Amino acid sequence: MSGRKDEPKEGKAAHPHLTAEFFVWLWFAADREGGTFNLDGIGVVDMWIEDRLSFRVVDEDKARVALSGEDTASSAEARAALASGKVVRDLQLHLRREEREYSVTLRGVHLDLCGLKLPAHASEGEDGLLYERMFLYEEAYSIVTALYRTFARERTSAAWHAETLPQIRAWVQRGEAALPPEDDPDAPQAARPAPGGGAPTSENEAEDDVGYGEDERDELGELSGDDEVETF
Amino acid sequence: MGVFAGAMTVRRYRVEGEVPEDFRDLFMASLQEHAFREPKNPAPGEEHVGWCLIQNLLDLDFSERDKWLFNHYLTAALRVDKRALPAKLFKAHLEKRVAAWLAENGRQRAPAAVKAEIKQALELEMLAKTLPRVATYEFCWNIVDGWVAFHATGEGPNDLFRKLFRQTFGCVLTPCSPLDLLVEEPALLEGMEMAGISDYRPRGEGARA
Repeated sequence: MSGRKDEPKEGKAAHPHLTAEFFVWLWFAADREGGTFNLDGIGVVDMWIEDRLSFRVVDEDKARVALSGEDTASSAEARAALASGKVVRDLQLHLRREEREYSVTLRGVHLDLCGLKLPAHASEGEDGLLYERMFLYEEAYSIVTALYRTFARERTSAAWHAETLPQIRAWVQRGEAALPPEDDPDAPQAARPAPGGGAPTSENEAEDDVGYGEDERDELGELSGDDEVETF
Repeated sequence: MGVFAGAMTVRRYRVEGEVPEDFRDLFMASLQEHAFREPKNPAPGEEHVGWCLIQNLLDLDFSERDKWLFNHYLTAALRVDKRALPAKLFKAHLEKRVAAWLAENGRQRAPAAVKAEIKQALELEMLAKTLPRVATYEFCWNIVDGWVAFHATGEGPNDLFRKLFRQTFGCVLTPCSPLDLLVEEPALLEGMEMAGISDYRPRGEGARA
């Protein structure tokens, strides 16, 4: 049988800008809440941004800037990307519920779970292994779901425009403020973005293998190859 | 990698459609019917798709139910084969063949029809010696809760998967949108559907909605 394009049937309209806002909110809220959330139906969950973030330009799906390495989320480059109007394309989260820890990259309008690493599990037989892995997958998905619901409540509340958005702008500003003005010759060079503006710094260059599919590898390959990295 | 081992890279779908009472027998027959088959006359660049067992991409027999149905979880893998000829090598061989025809027939130029005939014969000859590029993408269907985790996020494999899934099981797959996560709270869902774009930039004009 030969393959042919099949039109996807969409559920609720995906509203890509809300997914991008969710990613920024996760990043901001992880700072604001000190990494601990009490989620409806889930309980206490620890969540923090791991070592990988990528950004795209509005109306494009392809990543323009990918940052990885230690403390990526608090780096000046990452905040500067937001300040310049780029949107978060994907981000890597670490989730902890009770003793179970997950690492996952959220990507795209469908909130695809990429490179989901499950806690250690050791069931015997295919049946037991499948049940346990599906239980863990469902738990990770339910945490992401609960986080999205928490975001939706805040996003649709009056407090979003009155409090949250100004707080996020100030939070982005603090990152931007770490960058010296370009016309200040005495400014410490270490605080500037790497050459090329938003290019990853040397310690941030290595791409993590988080289990991307072939298409995603191609995209990242394009990023590190022919594509220009925009100056923030 | 994915369903039974390793990290998971997953797009989640909602399954639309009724699963019949006797789905165990029906799905076995349907999986057998849509299992991967080696193409008899492969054409260059053409993709061939079908199901295989997750355990081994060469296992195409779904008659043993306990290899693919685990209580309420149905698992299989989409196998996609594609044969492609090495372009430079093909071009080099084609030029040699055309040159041989010219010498044999004492002509300066080969007519288009002759070139096409030589090209077609060479394609068939080289394809017979070429191994396909094989990809597999696993999925797990929770039949009770009505969702599928497909272990690929690229649009190409997802297009092929949705189509073959519908042909095999008679159910339509709908990609889960984040807003689907809010269906139990209609007021929240409506608020999100009406939400505009927030501008996070410190010197931005402010939110537009």
